[in-house]
Amino acid sequence: MIALSLRHVSKRFARNAQPAVNDLSFDLPAGQILALVGPSGCGKTTTLRLIAGLERPDRGEIFINGRLMASPQVFVPPERRGVGMVFQDHALFPHLTVFENVAFGLRGKPRAQVRETVNTLLEMVGLQALAGRYPHALSGGERQRVALARALAPRPVLVLMDEPFSSLDADMRLEMREQVRGILKEMGATVVFVTHDQEEALFMGDCLAVFNSGRMEQIGAPEAIFHTSATRFVAEFMGDSDFLPGVAVEGGIHTPLGALFQRHPLPAGTPVEVALRADDVDFVPAAENANAVIVERFFRGAFHVYRLRLDSGEVMHAFKAHTLVLPAGARVQARISAEHPLMVFPKGQ
Amino acid sequence: MQVSLRPSAPSFSPRLAFAAGLVGLFVAVPLIYIFVRALGADPADWQRLLQTRLWTLLGNTLRLAAAVTAGTLVLGVGLAFLTERTDLPGRAFFRWALALPLAIPPYIGAIIHLALMRPRGGVLPQALESWLGYAVPLPSPLGFWGAAFVLTLFTYPYVYLLSGAAFRSLHASLEESARTLGRSPLQTFWQVTLPVLRPGLLAGALLVSLDILAEYGTVALLRYETFSSAIFVQLSGRYDRSAAAVLSGVLVTLAMLMLWGEVRAQGQARFTQMEGGWRPAAPVALGRWRLPALMGALAVSAASLFVPLGVLTAWSVQAFADADITAAVFRTGSQGFGNFALNSLWTALLAAVLAVLLSLPVALFARRSPGRFSHFLARLCQVGYAIPGVVIALSLVLLVNRFLPFLYGTPLVVVMAYVLRHMPQAVRASQSALSILSPTLEEAARTLGRTGAQTVLQVTLPLILPGLLAGGALVFLTSLKELPATLLLRPAGFDTLAVRVWMWATDGFYLQAAPAALFLVLISIAPLAFLLRREQMFR
Repeated sequence: MIALSLRHVSKRFARNAQPAVNDLSFDLPAGQILALVGPSGCGKTTTLRLIAGLERPDRGEIFINGRLMASPQVFVPPERRGVGMVFQDHALFPHLTVFENVAFGLRGKPRAQVRETVNTLLEMVGLQALAGRYPHALSGGERQRVALARALAPRPVLVLMDEPFSSLDADMRLEMREQVRGILKEMGATVVFVTHDQEEALFMGDCLAVFNSGRMEQIGAPEAIFHTSATRFVAEFMGDSDFLPGVAVEGGIHTPLGALFQRHPLPAGTPVEVALRADDVDFVPAAENANAVIVERFFRGAFHVYRLRLDSGEVMHAFKAHTLVLPAGARVQARISAEHPLMVFPKGQ
Repeated sequence: MQVSLRPSAPSFSPRLAFAAGLVGLFVAVPLIYIFVRALGADPADWQRLLQTRLWTLLGNTLRLAAAVTAGTLVLGVGLAFLTERTDLPGRAFFRWALALPLAIPPYIGAIIHLALMRPRGGVLPQALESWLGYAVPLPSPLGFWGAAFVLTLFTYPYVYLLSGAAFRSLHASLEESARTLGRSPLQTFWQVTLPVLRPGLLAGALLVSLDILAEYGTVALLRYETFSSAIFVQLSGRYDRSAAAVLSGVLVTLAMLMLWGEVRAQGQARFTQMEGGWRPAAPVALGRWRLPALMGALAVSAASLFVPLGVLTAWSVQAFADADITAAVFRTGSQGFGNFALNSLWTALLAAVLAVLLSLPVALFARRSPGRFSHFLARLCQVGYAIPGVVIALSLVLLVNRFLPFLYGTPLVVVMAYVLRHMPQAVRASQSALSILSPTLEEAARTLGRTGAQTVLQVTLPLILPGLLAGGALVFLTSLKELPATLLLRPAGFDTLAVRVWMWATDGFYLQAAPAALFLVLISIAPLAFLLRREQMFR
């Protein structure tokens, strides 16, 4: 069943020439977590706010559980959409206790039922003991969990999360996202999750949508996004790829690091770029036949990352076991070591 | 940490826009009416005033405003530096002692300094003469220097509080980085600290100037003629409304220019505001300047707080020791002390409640639908600062007589004057209370099933209540102290504490006036203390 559906949604803010969201369409099946990821200003938060009803789309339709929520003619206000939202700054009501915050969305229910629901949720997020506290007396992680409990309490059709971990410390962030993912999966919630951190998106999402300047570049499973990026932007943003220029030839690509034999649909002679990750490149120290020089070495514990400058001018990165230590300035012979097909993009895409 | 403070989704509510528009109309009408009357005055009146008084009045008023502004800047910034950034002994005590003169209306201060220093018959000259056996010439509190001295003493706390808050909110790292870039402490103060504080200080100085333009009681008592006192004379004595309208038109134009500058400076001050991560800068060691600094701070707080309070207390004790005076205090005709106090309290309280209520639609509208119109309305509500009490009185006399005759001769006209004059304080308080409210709080309430109106009632209002109370306290405080508009607009027999103190004191009945004045000061301290406690400086 499709819980959320967007059809050709566009939104442009006054005083901005570029639309914040441009002709966006996707479907999200119930029970899945969709992570919207992209650099800041790419339109992912606007998308979330459009779904919540905090912004009106200029064009297109938004359906939640098959009901039309927004179109040029129709606009259902946020309070009647049945969505739960977790805000970046958590937005806990400072004049209400933890209990009252979580109960805020349960208005009109019998008192006993409210107490039971709130207690169940607080137990789930592990905050029963703090029910009587006010938000200012909570730590960042506790606030985060209250915000989640509050959004989940009215049993929303859809949970929307806007960079919920960005205000937490790095180690707290790792701990919280595991907990939060566990809770969301346990509840079987349908979630749209916004982040600018690709690692967080890979961790949280059952499904990923990569945004760039108002457009969705690719949507799909995390593995697909990572290994078969649809565009150069996705490969660059999700995979920390370097790009090696080359020319398409019959049955392969000609590159400064030698020929690459793999099938591709491009006509011969097309200028291309090959996406290379640090594990796709290898090198050996060489006095003769060297084609690159070591610029810098970064120690990463179990391995080193070397930054190489090819004689043709490009900068590449390569992983090496921690046993081999070479100084900056050393001449090396680099090659493509990948044993899987690499992503190739026509130049200028 | 990355927190976006984007405004909530612009949502235009016609009802809110209409309410805000009505409030804007309410505050604009008296202003427009003054200009209409001033421009519509008989050209002969203009001619006469231009040839005779106008230039003298303009010179007098500007000279006084400039002198007092300069004086308050020196005293205010200097004392704030001493209590916030140095090792001055007794800083916690001085913080209060230097802020509390705000509870003493300047005309009460003038009464006391006049009684003490008057060239003939003043307490100090007499005491000196009887002690030394011959008369010693002392500086007179009358005229320009007297007025400048008294007004500086009783308005510097505005600048003191503003610059004190600024000194405290300034990041220590800002000055520390100037030091590491090779500036001495003194160079750092002139090249970094003051420039950063400048927009805030400029705004404070212009507010003081606006206050001086509006001041009536002090200049009248100390016999220094400014626009305000000249208009007052035209209105009460000669009853020449046409001349009063001409003078008011010029005065309000002058005030509007200053207000325009103040609003601009406020805007700039917002950009230089420092937030978060505050850590106190190391206090400057005064060394051998410790004693002179202490003496200076003591002298200022003595002249502006302890001497006035002491004199009022002494007079009150004397008044109650004398059965006749006691009887006069508690009964004048059919009215007594209780009536005056009650009149003061209910008019000021009603004005505070009304001003806050009226400020709400304007502030909410400006926040919800940011745009030219809402921005204009919020600015329009600031004009009360630029309309001195005498001008509000003139405008309301004419307007109410013509359009709302049933209100004429009721105390409600007085309340209306308070609301119009002090509306800017309420609007600013409501706007700043709303501005620190994260828009996501309202959005969260919407996603949790509340309509726009329910969100305002259940989330917005409870959260901005402290800010609204502060705005109300400020309006209450300034309304209690208000003199000229009350004198001109009150119905016959409707006396407030301020009016009674003024009438008794100008008739020379100091002892009789003292208990009412002391009571007025004491009830002003309550809202003032509430306001000061909200400041970081006083925690």
